[in-house]
Amino acid sequence: MVGPRTLTYYPGVARATIYQRSYRGKGKQTDYHFDVCLWTCERPLLFLHLFPLSLFIALNMASILQKLITPLFSGTPEPARNKVTVVGVGQVGMACAVSILLRELADELALVDVMEDKLKGEMMDLQHGSLFLKTPKIVASKDYSVTANSRIVVVTAGVRQQEGESRLNLVQRNVNIFKHIIPQIIKHSPKCIIIVVSNPVDVLTYVTWKLSGLPKHRVIGSGTNLDSARFRYLMAEKLGIHATSFNGWILGEHGDTSVPVWSGTNVAGVNLQTLNPDIGTDADQENWKDTHKQVVDSAYEVIKLKGYTNWAIGLSVADLTESLIRNMNRIHPVSTMVKGMYGIDDEVYLSLPCVLNAGGVASVVNMTLTDDEIGQIKQSADTLWDIQKDLTDV
Amino acid sequence: MYCHTPCGPWSTVVHYTWNRVPLGMQTKPDLCDELCLIDVMEDKLKGEVMDLQHGSLFCKTHKIVGDKDYSTTAHSKVVVVTAGARQQEGESRLNLVQRNVNIFKFIIPQIVKYSPNAILLVVSNPVDILTYVAWKLSGFPRHRVIGSGTNLDSGRFRHLMGEKLHLHPSSCHGWIIGEHGDSSVPVWSGVNVAGVSLKGLNPDMGTDADKEDWKHVHKMVVNGAYEVIKLKGYTSWAIGMSVADLVESILKNLHKVHPVSTLVKGMHGVKEEVFLSVPCVLGNSGLTDIIHMTLKPEEEKQLSNSAETLWGVQKELTL
Repeated sequence: MVGPRTLTYYPGVARATIYQRSYRGKGKQTDYHFDVCLWTCERPLLFLHLFPLSLFIALNMASILQKLITPLFSGTPEPARNKVTVVGVGQVGMACAVSILLRELADELALVDVMEDKLKGEMMDLQHGSLFLKTPKIVASKDYSVTANSRIVVVTAGVRQQEGESRLNLVQRNVNIFKHIIPQIIKHSPKCIIIVVSNPVDVLTYVTWKLSGLPKHRVIGSGTNLDSARFRYLMAEKLGIHATSFNGWILGEHGDTSVPVWSGTNVAGVNLQTLNPDIGTDADQENWKDTHKQVVDSAYEVIKLKGYTNWAIGLSVADLTESLIRNMNRIHPVSTMVKGMYGIDDEVYLSLPCVLNAGGVASVVNMTLTDDEIGQIKQSADTLWDIQKDLTDV
Repeated sequence: MYCHTPCGPWSTVVHYTWNRVPLGMQTKPDLCDELCLIDVMEDKLKGEVMDLQHGSLFCKTHKIVGDKDYSTTAHSKVVVVTAGARQQEGESRLNLVQRNVNIFKFIIPQIVKYSPNAILLVVSNPVDILTYVAWKLSGFPRHRVIGSGTNLDSGRFRHLMGEKLHLHPSSCHGWIIGEHGDSSVPVWSGVNVAGVSLKGLNPDMGTDADKEDWKHVHKMVVNGAYEVIKLKGYTSWAIGMSVADLVESILKNLHKVHPVSTLVKGMHGVKEEVFLSVPCVLGNSGLTDIIHMTLKPEEEKQLSNSAETLWGVQKELTL
């Protein structure tokens, strides 16, 4: 594929480039515009037939351009500093993309997928909203070169479990997909931080870490960030307060065996377990344990009702992205490499409270867990390792 | 500044004198749809209103007005009162009291006359006493008279805690309650990060025996205002932002928990009719609920001591 720089020096194309720049007003928009034209044509030589057309247009438009705008700076445009890539434009991927756009986190957004029409349609739909956004460049391609120099890459690609399919089989199918995706991401953005969202997230974060060769602090799984958000919302509803005023953490595996840390639940520093020592146990008269059960079931419930979940996960990923891009040192429960903690000897990824900043996972908070909670986490680790050890080519 | 909207529920009123509190509220440009400034100093008032209006392009508040006459404040949803003399260098908050009570005797009835359903948010110092005064003078039910209280002290504490632990303040949880001032109470047992109680990790926290000297963090919070006043003459930005935070919870009906000044008679051993800061739930009807903190005996004692001191001052006031 011919790069944009080469095109601008081509005699016939040069005119067309000027025309397009004055139309858009910015050098980089011009490059992009031409890229797309070539991409849809798919054959570099095709632009030869545009030469007379572009010349004709350029010669006629040049006078309006020259009257209207005087370019002052025509050097290489500055590269994007906060580029975010989203791999996979399904419901979850698009929810992540939109949440990131609305939070004004990125100065460039790249989308990648294998389904070309869907990809182009989604990209155009977002671009058409440009008037209302602060992200000036939205690109998309099947080709990973469009993701070059990203700071954050959100991976939502993968297949869903078929009926009756074993988890191991699902994982192996997704491993094969990741074997194609991850090396391409790293090739074009060697300094990025990867956020893995695809399920089963803990196993796939491990897979991503292995395939990418990145240091462990730059591979993060969205983990129980969403479970904790659901927990805080449900608990806060019961107490009549806002979710942000309820503090509670769910750790461990993102899924059926997540661990609610009842000892840490508090409102305004008032520890709930101190008010009700039975909280979270079967003996609890108020049955607070049910709230955690609701969290575990909530994904299935939403899927049953609307077919998939996307908004909450999209918003939670944007929240993580914000801490990373804005270097905030905020704490989130995300999936990280936990070997060596809580007596875990295997290389598994589980969710613990992590401090996130521009470098990735800066540190992990040592939670004071009960023996029972530690036992549950260790059990999750064992289950995950059981699956991971049988994966091939990782 | 205050907002007046006959058509919408979003209004904010701030009575403004010598205080740049309103500008802190510009950090949340989508909060209210009408803003009104009231003051006795007409030129200063007009200048400030014009300056804000010139920023309209960059704001989402379509109407900014200012007048000496309180009729412009009619139908406000929230009235933020920052009027009064400000602390001089070295002056304690209690010294300001009678000066500010006389000002309030003029302001409050006028606010009530034009916005009988408003929520009063008192910022002027000494805030706990003046919230009591505003409550008495307005005749409003207690859930509609709120003092900005220790919302700012807790904000300062969480900032200093964040610096100490290299974390963002929003991930550091700590509550300062009681009097907004020298005798505020840091609730060490509640201080936590990610649900991990810091006092559980360091039982000496907050005592003189503590090697990490966390007590000094609280001392810096108490001295924070004095330090800033010494350096730049007044404090404005942090208090403005903390007030905007409270107003947001009220106008957007968030039911968020904030440490604000409310009537605490009957709680934590307080027998007098005084206002002190405790964690409260704020929504669009005002202060809807109070969170009961489990305090240590010495913390409760500190609160009841504050209450006695405040009552000692309040009972001498002519209202």
